Amino acid sequence: MNWALALPEIVLAACGLLILVIGVLRKSDSAQLCSMLTLGAFLVTGLLVLTRPGGIGYYGQFTVDSFAVLTKLLILIGAALSLMLSFDYNDRQGIARFEYPVLILFATVGMMGMVSASSLMTLYVALELQSLALYVLAAFARDELRSSEAGLKYFVLGALASGLLLYGISLVYGFSGTMDFGVLAHALGSPAQASAGLIVGVVFVIVGLAFKISAAPFHMWTPDVYEGSPTSVTVFLATAPKVAAMALLLRVMAEPFGHLLASWQLVIEVVSIASMVLGALAAIGQTNVKRLMAYSSIGHMGYALIGLAVGTPLGMRGVLVYLIVYIFMSAGTWACIIAMRRQGLAVEKIEDLSGLARTDPGLALAFAIFMFSMAGIPPLSGFFGKLYVFLAAVQSGLWTLAIIGVLTSVVGSYYYLRIVKVMYFDAPGPALDRRPSMLGFVAAVTGVFTLFFFLFPGPLVAAAGTAASALFG
Amino acid sequence: MAPTFFFYLFSVVLVLCAAMVVSSRNPVHSVLFLIGAFFNAAGLFLIAGAEFLAFILVIVYVGAVAVLFLFVVMMLDVDFEQLRSGLQRYLPVGIAVGVLLLAELVSVLVGWHVHPAATAVRFAPAPAGVSNTVALGELVYTKYILLFQAAGLVLLVAMIGAIVLTLRDRRSSRHQRIAVQNARVPGETVELRTMALGGGVPVADILRPRLTQPDAIDDDPLEPTHHGGHHPADAHHAPEGR
Amino acid sequence: MIYMLAVFAPLAGALVAGLLGRWIGDRAAMAASVLGMAVAAVCGPLAWAMLEWGGAPAGTIRIATWIQAGSFHVHWALRYDALSAVMVAMVGFVSMLIHVYSVGYMAHDSYRRYRFFAYLSLFTFAMLMLVTANNLLQLFFGWEGVGLCSYLLIGYWYDRPAACAAAIKAFVVNRIGDLAFAIGVAMLFLTFGSIGFTTIFAHLAQHQTERYHILGGSIRVYELIAILLFIGAMGKSAQLFLHVWLPDAMEGPTPVSALIHAATMVTAGVFLVARMSPLFDQAPAAMTLVAVIGGSTAFFAATIGCVQNDIKRVIAYSTCSQLGYMFLGEGVGAYPASIFHLLTHAFFKALLFLCAGSVIHAMSDEQDMRKMGGLWRKIPITYVTMWAGSLALGGVFPFAGYYSKDAILEAALAAHSAVGDYGFVMGILAAVMTGFYSWRLLLMTFHGKPRGDHHAMAHAHESPWVMTVPLMVLAVGALSAGFLLHGIVIGPHWQYFWRGTLVLAPGNQVMTAMDQLPGWAYVVPSIAGLLGIAIAYWFYWWNPMLPVRLASQFRPLYLFLLNKWYFDELYDALFVRPAFALGKLLWQTGDETIIDGVPNGLADLAVDGSRGAVKIQTGSIAVYAFTMLIGLVVLVGIFLIWG
Repeated sequence: MNWALALPEIVLAACGLLILVIGVLRKSDSAQLCSMLTLGAFLVTGLLVLTRPGGIGYYGQFTVDSFAVLTKLLILIGAALSLMLSFDYNDRQGIARFEYPVLILFATVGMMGMVSASSLMTLYVALELQSLALYVLAAFARDELRSSEAGLKYFVLGALASGLLLYGISLVYGFSGTMDFGVLAHALGSPAQASAGLIVGVVFVIVGLAFKISAAPFHMWTPDVYEGSPTSVTVFLATAPKVAAMALLLRVMAEPFGHLLASWQLVIEVVSIASMVLGALAAIGQTNVKRLMAYSSIGHMGYALIGLAVGTPLGMRGVLVYLIVYIFMSAGTWACIIAMRRQGLAVEKIEDLSGLARTDPGLALAFAIFMFSMAGIPPLSGFFGKLYVFLAAVQSGLWTLAIIGVLTSVVGSYYYLRIVKVMYFDAPGPALDRRPSMLGFVAAVTGVFTLFFFLFPGPLVAAAGTAASALFG
Repeated sequence: MAPTFFFYLFSVVLVLCAAMVVSSRNPVHSVLFLIGAFFNAAGLFLIAGAEFLAFILVIVYVGAVAVLFLFVVMMLDVDFEQLRSGLQRYLPVGIAVGVLLLAELVSVLVGWHVHPAATAVRFAPAPAGVSNTVALGELVYTKYILLFQAAGLVLLVAMIGAIVLTLRDRRSSRHQRIAVQNARVPGETVELRTMALGGGVPVADILRPRLTQPDAIDDDPLEPTHHGGHHPADAHHAPEGR
Repeated sequence: MIYMLAVFAPLAGALVAGLLGRWIGDRAAMAASVLGMAVAAVCGPLAWAMLEWGGAPAGTIRIATWIQAGSFHVHWALRYDALSAVMVAMVGFVSMLIHVYSVGYMAHDSYRRYRFFAYLSLFTFAMLMLVTANNLLQLFFGWEGVGLCSYLLIGYWYDRPAACAAAIKAFVVNRIGDLAFAIGVAMLFLTFGSIGFTTIFAHLAQHQTERYHILGGSIRVYELIAILLFIGAMGKSAQLFLHVWLPDAMEGPTPVSALIHAATMVTAGVFLVARMSPLFDQAPAAMTLVAVIGGSTAFFAATIGCVQNDIKRVIAYSTCSQLGYMFLGEGVGAYPASIFHLLTHAFFKALLFLCAGSVIHAMSDEQDMRKMGGLWRKIPITYVTMWAGSLALGGVFPFAGYYSKDAILEAALAAHSAVGDYGFVMGILAAVMTGFYSWRLLLMTFHGKPRGDHHAMAHAHESPWVMTVPLMVLAVGALSAGFLLHGIVIGPHWQYFWRGTLVLAPGNQVMTAMDQLPGWAYVVPSIAGLLGIAIAYWFYWWNPMLPVRLASQFRPLYLFLLNKWYFDELYDALFVRPAFALGKLLWQTGDETIIDGVPNGLADLAVDGSRGAVKIQTGSIAVYAFTMLIGLVVLVGIFLIWG
């Protein structure tokens, strides 16, 4: 048994325990220290992920391939970016406690386990580790009614989704006698060998995972939780877990159930279309930026699901490119949102942004770049994300998906551009507070990535291609 | 014959108990029915030969979890009638969804086709001389070590979560601060006065020490355990309706 | 390797200055930026010398794969040939001097300066990418890059409304040219299946007779592509009709004007035509257009330059006019002469702008020549160097302009065509005016009675050495570049120098015919320049009241010239106002009837759908859970029915 396969996870978890101990022992102002240590732990883990060899271990429960490596790096980047954004925010909101980075860290351990899972059992345990930490984080501002409500909602609905997922897993196990991905793939070599019960189990699994990526109609928690949670937590929710859950969905659909494509393709298509349409329409009337971004993320997951519905390595590559692009663009947008603070109080209405171009041109420019990218306007990175999934859909003849995708992204661009319009053409309101340098740094890094992605898409697309073909290897 | 009989007995009682859990009006009764359901499930485990699981179920769920539930239900003033007020409204929808789902599942079960591997697992004979507990232990600490440790992390996160969300230093709690006590000098607390004969006692001056400092005690720098401290409630978000 | 260093050192400088500038401070940022440029200024000429005389082989240096989609492959690569190398050498050298000069010029600026230097270096990098591009997409990247940087630099003083307006104007006018350019590139790809220069030039013969049929007529593919590319070049090089942005761009800091609007960016159009010379040679109609536009611009801009009072605007129009000469040369096929003029012009025009900057610096930011005068005692170095620049611009022997400008005029005459003759006449007239406005500038600024207010005149002082040293270096260049280089660049062995990068159409003997003109043709340009100088002396030295009398006598003509032929007003009436009206109309109908009124169609559907989607978002957990379960039931149902 090659236990060292999980070395990055083990090291990260051990760091988490250590940081927990340090936080408890130091008592006062340990939040900053623990956050820094957590960032360091992420860095070390990232290096380990990059350098460790791949393989399958733990009796087939855990696998490390190029797909896992790519998504783990993305998860670590997302977690690190959102942790950086939380420093100042948590301080000012009075929720700077050392448990915060520890919970983020354990959630990250869970996510890394998710993308490496090659057995339904590993999948479930890792997913629960991630989810439980997220529930707590959502309610982290416990003196805040909205935050507690968000945590409770997330928890109850998440428990329901977990129940469905578990039921689906038990169906699959009951009908096939195994939970191992490799054995399942072998056993389901031809669609004829899959009984109806097993496929219903797969549908249940899809539903459980669709909840995690907040795809319609299992998205209902998203706007409330995004809005209610402290913004630093929302940043985290909107970045790393999305990548992890989507990657998990990709692996589950491609590896054990890849041969059943004809059976689940329609289900994914329906979920994808529902998400795209909902994401485009529901966001139009929103006045709260966080809520708007919640709907936006639903729409984005819908676009990414197009690639999954295609079911070919090309489609999966599209999804991965989309995730790479999305994580940077999303972190950047949230950096801008977290900078919205007036006289010490966080503000989150769209109208609070009015005339930002005059009061803070740098922030307005960054925000505008992210909005244009989210709308998918070339040559920003968001355009390439959409391009690759749409191309894959067209190549496989899924014209309906591609056309609906283009239509909804036209409708969706309305509300992104509205933010730009509010920032650049409305009469300026009172200036926002001076933003801490960390926010500027994150916004600049992600902005540069978003802006200049078109220069060197080659290596990233190639990496995504390698990772995607690892799923089919 | 006997196992079959008991299987159906436990199963029927289990389903009835579960139905009563959600339908009974008195929350205490609900919890008691839940305990009943656990016992029956334990019985089912026994029939299947999983005595370890049966006992774990009774010890952990009945002994700890359900009793804790009972305490919470009895001690907290939760208005259960209000919680149930949506029942009438959602009942038709709930029933419709339930019936549909059931119909779908039944239609699946009609074409029941179990993979041979699954059947093989069920009929695999238990190795002789290995008790349930030993078998579980051997698996959990070898083959499933990763999952076992991950489950441990899940519990740890649950614990951290419980502490983060609930533990707080109450302003009303008072601790002994030896340093403060030792640093006191008589002049702070004791005052000598010459009383006029027959003039009565000026109440205010005597009962109150000159230096009262309840606030100073709470914010004492010698006791910096404020990670669970109290924070201004309005600091998080601008209040906003949906 | 040296070549790569020359191209990427400015980028490194820009990145250090721009990204770290806030932390490492202005001084360190400036040092990094100047250092990067110094490396480029050493490596660029070195790489050029190695190619010309060191026997280094020409070729391409591939850096990375850029886009790979289907049959569309594009690589990041540096082209290393005579044309690119000489441009890299020139851009790196001039830009380095301007960086050094800027250190002194911007010393008293109230803004954080790291931003300025980062833009300046980034601009240089974009220009280098443009000239070293191995395919049209990379060229387009550099093209847009210099456009963007010039936008940032013109609008550098972003709290001045005029600067912001000028920046936007430059951006918009350039977009028009860029659009034509992009269409041209797309058509090239359609025709050749590639946008790499090597492939295109190799397959030129194959598509020679292909035609497009549009609107009843038909046009040869090459002609159309060449015209589209030339429209792009017109935008960037500020040729007639698309020139309106260049004078306004003088709102930026003076070193920016020197770098962008004289030495480098505006020459991108000239460079593009030269680079695509094999294609242009196949398109005689487009060549005619190039020559006509070039000759007309040379004349037109010179007339305006004669009456402007803003010192920088005079030089700006002179740039416009000189660019016209370059296009004229290209239009008759004398590419070497044009590029030669481009090189010498870079020296003396940068010199003139920097001198103007020095004057402005001395006069405490006064730019109006009517408020100057008598400055030559106060700022002697600037005065002397400005003389050198003006002599070069006026084409006086043996300064640089004498060789390059005369070569273009001779080529125009040697073309023995109507267009060539037209260009020659326009060029001679422009040469007279060039001499006139150059000395008008000199005399108004440095001679006569001081007309500025006392404070400014009293404070007038010579610039610090970081500013004067670049002036002197450039003055040496303006003096010597002509007679040092003309023998090898446009002499009998020009083909050896250019090594096949500049191609003349077969049968086009303009480069040899240049040397076989009647004797008067070689004298006329010089005489024209001297005549202009004499007129200037007559007007502003011996007879200072004459210009005023003339202006009042020929008032309509004077106003016509002063208002730059009313181009701005014309465009305003033709394009800007209708566009605003249209925008307003759309906005009113859009916002008021579609959003506010009772709408129908897609917008209505969207709004209704939005309301419906939000309506179920009640906040109740039970509703959410039911939605999930209904979704589950539906999905299982879908599977059971269709799966």
